[in-house]
Amino acid sequence: MKPFRFRHGDVVGGLDPAEASVVGLLLDQLEMLLEADADDVAGDAVLERLLPPGHRGDAEAAAEYRELTESSLRSGKADDLAMVRASLPEGGGELRLDADQAAAWLRSTNDLRLALGTRLEITDETEPPDDFAGEEDQQLAVYYWLTALQGSLVDALAAGRAARR
Amino acid sequence: MAGPLAPERTPDTTVDEESALDRPWVTIVWNDPVNLMTYVTFVLQELFGYDEPTATTLMLQVHHEGKAIVSSGPRERMEHDTSRLHAYGLWASFQRDS
Repeated sequence: MKPFRFRHGDVVGGLDPAEASVVGLLLDQLEMLLEADADDVAGDAVLERLLPPGHRGDAEAAAEYRELTESSLRSGKADDLAMVRASLPEGGGELRLDADQAAAWLRSTNDLRLALGTRLEITDETEPPDDFAGEEDQQLAVYYWLTALQGSLVDALAAGRAARR
Repeated sequence: MAGPLAPERTPDTTVDEESALDRPWVTIVWNDPVNLMTYVTFVLQELFGYDEPTATTLMLQVHHEGKAIVSSGPRERMEHDTSRLHAYGLWASFQRDS
């Protein structure tokens, strides 16, 4: 991975081939989850985290909020996924993102981290794996790789914002 | 506090209920172990126009105290703010100020 940097109004980074293919697979999985039949994923912890209740403690207010907002929240995520996929260099390479693309990458990589982090039951005490023997260690490694990617994107965008002042 | 956005209604309420109606609604961001501190700060600046010190203070409050009020006002606006935070994956909810 080439960490994101702010360059002349864009953010620029890079992925090697394996990384680009992992991101592609993760996007597919997230898309499938978001498109799944609501009955099939009722109570799914990841969906519950990606589409959280708007009110805690008042089920009626939460249901009303969900009715008002869930479809636009879902379509926003789908639009972000499509934009990320369109800008993902197949086979790896440079990633040059304009403001809209960078915002889509920011939200989508966060959703991927939320999804993986929820599945892996990440806590404040969780640490990167020492080796990649087990499947869970590998997923944890992917989670921390996404953390580094997203962290560099946040830093690059914050630098861009500071430069505009 | 009637304004152009206030709902038109003539509440038939007791004094206690009226004082409850006077309390504003708030949007709360809750701590979670996944969202990066820099990301939360960035999003609060992006969505609410907070300067960096203000956004950082709120983020640290979320991190250390478990939650922070990030906006307050009429219920409809708090629902809207909650949905904008949800679009960025922050763990947010709205409620009447307590």
